[in-house]
Amino acid sequence: MQIREYLIRRLMIFPLIIVGTSIIVFVLSRVGGNPVGIYLEHEMSAEEVAQLEERYGLNEPLPVQYFAWARGVLTGDMGWSGVSAQPVTEALIDRIGATLELAIFAAIVAITLGVGLGTFGGARRDRWPDHMTRVLSISGASMPIFWFAILLLIVFWVNLGWFSTGRSDPTIFESIPHPTNIYTLDAILAGNFKALLDALHHLILPSVTLGFGATAIIARMMRSSLVEELNEDYVDAARAKGLPERLVLRRHARRNALIPTVTVIGLGFGFLLQGTVVVEIIFRWPGLGRWMADAVLRGDQATIMAYVLFTSVLFLTVNLVVDIMYAYLDRRVVLGA
Amino acid sequence: MVDVPIPETTRIRVEGPWIVRLRRFAEITRRVLRNPTTLAGLLIIVALLSLAILAPVLTEPNVPDPYQMPRDWGARDAPPGTPGHPLGTTSTGGDVFYGVLWGARTSLQLSVIVVGITVTVGTIVGSLAGFIGGKLDEILMRTVDILLAIPELIFALAIAAVLGPSFGNIIFALSVVFWVKYARIIRGQIIHVKQNEYVDAARVIGDSKLKIYLKDVLPNSITPVIVQATMDMGGIVLTAATLSFIGLSEAGLAEWGVLVSDGQAGISAGKWWASTFPGLMVFLWALGFNLVGDGMRDVLDPRTESR
Repeated sequence: MQIREYLIRRLMIFPLIIVGTSIIVFVLSRVGGNPVGIYLEHEMSAEEVAQLEERYGLNEPLPVQYFAWARGVLTGDMGWSGVSAQPVTEALIDRIGATLELAIFAAIVAITLGVGLGTFGGARRDRWPDHMTRVLSISGASMPIFWFAILLLIVFWVNLGWFSTGRSDPTIFESIPHPTNIYTLDAILAGNFKALLDALHHLILPSVTLGFGATAIIARMMRSSLVEELNEDYVDAARAKGLPERLVLRRHARRNALIPTVTVIGLGFGFLLQGTVVVEIIFRWPGLGRWMADAVLRGDQATIMAYVLFTSVLFLTVNLVVDIMYAYLDRRVVLGA
Repeated sequence: MVDVPIPETTRIRVEGPWIVRLRRFAEITRRVLRNPTTLAGLLIIVALLSLAILAPVLTEPNVPDPYQMPRDWGARDAPPGTPGHPLGTTSTGGDVFYGVLWGARTSLQLSVIVVGITVTVGTIVGSLAGFIGGKLDEILMRTVDILLAIPELIFALAIAAVLGPSFGNIIFALSVVFWVKYARIIRGQIIHVKQNEYVDAARVIGDSKLKIYLKDVLPNSITPVIVQATMDMGGIVLTAATLSFIGLSEAGLAEWGVLVSDGQAGISAGKWWASTFPGLMVFLWALGFNLVGDGMRDVLDPRTESR
């Protein structure tokens, strides 16, 4: 299949999958019972309840309700978020910066460690450094993020006092404006070095916690694709012309091994997204994940629906971009199989 | 007619299919266990399963419900090493040692139930799609695509949230989420296996579709499912513990995630034990199954390694 055909096919299916996802999210919200529940008060009569249902269109047939909701989502009206006492759309915009910042730094940790470990292990195939990196990366995938976070807090917060929870020091937070709500970026924009250090300082533990889990995914892929590349003829050619092993690895094999590794970025991104829920609870990080956790515990359906839909669309988009990137990077791939 | 004796060497020894299978199984096991990390994983699994089985022997089961944590209100926040509480107690006097052991039992039941359900459902759906094909395949696989669009943990979290906090709902939520992967894996395998000559041969000699599926197609497609199921034995416990930690289980359940969550509030006061030990158990459980699953994949299914 040609790349163009493949892309057109992918782009055509994309909105269908999003519509499908939104239907699942909607059905899910109705499984939990009538959403009128959150508006009810003790002394309401059956008549008043019926009035409420009328007002929010909850007495309409489900498909009609779905379209009403979907129209709302498309026009930016996703209802009222009970847990944050503001419209869902506003709450989402307020919190996305915190989660984005955390995810970006965690991704930096994961990619650096993952590519490093994968290269280290793959270049020493089946020897003990390879076994060690294998155990280390599988440990990352087996690590309960909530437990790892608590361990880090016990060591570095309770016992050593090096770090604390939260996103920033309150006095430093007030010293600069926050136009983007990404604190490191805000500090750079304000030209305040102290604020930048503070933001980074608060980012270290949560992003290491979150990134370590995703490291495994990248390291495993990197290792196996490096092992494959090292068996290729061009590597022998490079060695034969007298290139030192270090350069063979760095300039040739590792570069090519990075291409298939791109495919797991989508997987890794999904992993990071899910992880933010737990990491944000433990590190008191005021982002989307903690918002979702609060909503889950208080049964705030509008928030849950918005969060699930938002993360799914984000996840799908990243995967689409990754697939397109990969199609261009490696023309040998049999597309659409 | 002269009776010509058949020379010894040309006589073919036909072994029953079960002996062949057993031999193959032994050979594969030998190759899987040659890897030291896989062996380590297996030892971890054996140790944890022993704890789960021996829990009623090593601790006195709580009455009436042994899966509910016993409370010792006289010894709250006791550190490890306290008489009667080798791993200490939680802030509500729950014995951490008890929770660690009975948590292993909870995890074993949980993972066996969820893996059982998801492998069965996934295999049936994937087989229908792959073996029958056509429009059915298209419909089933687009549904699978949609279900895979929502990240696993978030999907399970949302399902468990709308159903309300209970461990039973966590089991249900995980079953809804985890079967999808199996459907996709088995469909891909079947489409590949279907093209083999031995399937054509079976069709030519007049075997029924069902017989071809059960005898030739399914047994040759199932390997990656076994690898995935092994890893999911760990992954399911990990995900369930995460949901419990967030607060979607009943309070007081002897489950590792619940215990870590109970202990979390105490860490700033230096009470590290109530979260540390149960969390370690989740980690070891997942690590054991992931190491073994990974080792199996290397031997059984080298292709997925580079996919």
